[in-house]
Amino acid sequence: MQPATQMWWFTVGRVLTTVLVGLGAGWLLGNLWTGLACALALHLGWVLANLFRLEWWLRHRNYADPPDVGGVWGEIIAQVVRLHRRKRFHKQRFVQLMRQLQRSTAALPNGVVILNAQREIVWFNRMAGRLLELRSTADLGLRIDNLLRAPEFLRYLARADYSNPVVIRPTMGEDTYLSLQVVPYGDGQLLLLVSDVSRQMRLEAVRRDFVANASHELRSPLTVISGYLETLGHDPALDPEVLGPIAEMRRQAERMTQIIRDLLELSRLEETDEVVGGNPVDVAALLSLLRKDVLARPVHPREVRVRIDSGMQLSGDEPEIHSAFSNLVDNAAKYTPAEGSIEMRWWTDGEGGHFAVTDTGFGIPAEHIPRLTERFYRVDAGRSRATGGSGLGLAIVKHVLQRHGARLEVRSTLGEGSSFTCHFPPERLARPAGAALTTETA
Amino acid sequence: METADLSHHISRRFNEDLERVRSKVLGMGGFVEQQLQKAITALVEGDSSLGEAVAMDDYQVNNMEVSIDDECSRILATRAPAAGDLRVIVAIIKTITDLERIGDEAEKSGYIASRLATMERPADKYREIKHLGRVVSEMVHDALDAFARMDVDSALRVARQDRLVDEEYEAIQRQSITFMMEDPRTIRRALDVMWVVRALERIGDHAKNISEYVIYMVHGKDIRHTSLDDVERELRAGSGTAGVVP
Repeated sequence: MQPATQMWWFTVGRVLTTVLVGLGAGWLLGNLWTGLACALALHLGWVLANLFRLEWWLRHRNYADPPDVGGVWGEIIAQVVRLHRRKRFHKQRFVQLMRQLQRSTAALPNGVVILNAQREIVWFNRMAGRLLELRSTADLGLRIDNLLRAPEFLRYLARADYSNPVVIRPTMGEDTYLSLQVVPYGDGQLLLLVSDVSRQMRLEAVRRDFVANASHELRSPLTVISGYLETLGHDPALDPEVLGPIAEMRRQAERMTQIIRDLLELSRLEETDEVVGGNPVDVAALLSLLRKDVLARPVHPREVRVRIDSGMQLSGDEPEIHSAFSNLVDNAAKYTPAEGSIEMRWWTDGEGGHFAVTDTGFGIPAEHIPRLTERFYRVDAGRSRATGGSGLGLAIVKHVLQRHGARLEVRSTLGEGSSFTCHFPPERLARPAGAALTTETA
Repeated sequence: METADLSHHISRRFNEDLERVRSKVLGMGGFVEQQLQKAITALVEGDSSLGEAVAMDDYQVNNMEVSIDDECSRILATRAPAAGDLRVIVAIIKTITDLERIGDEAEKSGYIASRLATMERPADKYREIKHLGRVVSEMVHDALDAFARMDVDSALRVARQDRLVDEEYEAIQRQSITFMMEDPRTIRRALDVMWVVRALERIGDHAKNISEYVIYMVHGKDIRHTSLDDVERELRAGSGTAGVVP
């Protein structure tokens, strides 16, 4: 038999014994019921006394010892003590775990701030407090964008696209750069990760300056070489045998000039931040200009079409947009045979503006597509050198698009042709000035 | 805290409106801070395109001021706020005026910096201006922080710092006069530089004003044109009864 059941039998036995004793005493005194009532009253008093001791102990259990009661009462007290002990054990373990967790997040080399759905600060670790100059406890409950007011960060929060971190320069602090990344989780809660990227930014600046300076320094000697080669090429006194090599040298010098020009443009694009605002660019006019450029090439595809499906204009930096589009169109013209065709298309929809260049050229093997925008990346080394590209065209396109919040999509089938599409966000679209007037008067 | 009071509103929408306007003010402040920073960098590093960019971007500050002003008028008209809320709105309207002025001074400095970039740079590379610029932008930053945190102590600290800026201004002015007397060819440049120094000094005054609005917003006390020591004594003594509505 189980000890608990045994105890219950014992308790029932005790009650029965009390009843029997009461009945016996009543029989002896001649009044059965009075005896029974007295016995039950005594029993009830005993039960109440136990109940009182139990309740008193529960109230003062933190410092009082459990009362020593027998029977089922003792068992109940033992159970409570056990429950209490187990709870305390779990609580201690939990507190320990919590403390460990807090200690590890506090020791993180990166700052962590927890924000609620209203972007109010719920918690932050020591590093975040140091990097963002937050005050512990006093700043809890304040909105993060009230304390972290850098315009770049506010734009980042407003855009709600947290796929990339944003780098800001805090007002206080010389040459400090902070990288901020928001990670949404749970019910609209946000985790803000902060790290000090001053060192990386400085290294990056050194690298950029080096490329820019090196390209600049290379340009002047190259100009001299090109100049002499040009004079030599027209010199009638020269042996006709060397004319071939001189022409080749001139071509290569020209290519080098082109590469340096592209490198300089790339480093200029890298130096400045995103293009904010900008001027409206008339895409239709730009495309018809690019079409003329293609047709002016000595060898060009037979058919060059321009399709304008939208009257909307693109707001951005005009020279940059021109450079990006012309690089894409140039590529298409270069890799499309004379009997092929090129189509340039501009259209807008709910997702924004799109510019696509589709050709019926050689196509690009799928494994090369993800790496196309890397600098000097070549799908087919022999062929692209022969066509005289710098290897930087698509890198320039990528940078220009990034600076305009746009992205490049490449689709290609080997042997059938390729299609390069630029997707611009809706806020980059602008209604032409004339059209705006007509809608207002209408 | 006052922020706790804000959340006890009968109308949650009103509360949200107030908070949004406050955030917009601080966002405008962040932009102005950056403009100021850029203008100083443009002058110290002789970056003419950065200086031009500052001058070009000032219209954004003006747009923000107009938009916040509109929103404040709308709140005043539709919600008819009283007591602490009314003080918040009044303080906001005053703060954005000062922020806009700071923006104007930064614009002017940026414009002058882009012009100075083409001239010969002095031997000290504008070290004094760099220092003054740092003190002033710290004041603007701290004043806005005090605004965000409703922190009277920091606000008082900012207000006190204005005296330091004034002293520095005097010192640079004396130095410039010496330079001009030594070599009259530098007069043109020195005059331009004085414009920037003057602008920085004015920005310090505006930062002081903003911190005074913070004290007004929290305690309902107008401390303009009173000595700071008196203000502090009064705030310490009457912290229990503070919050008298004008």
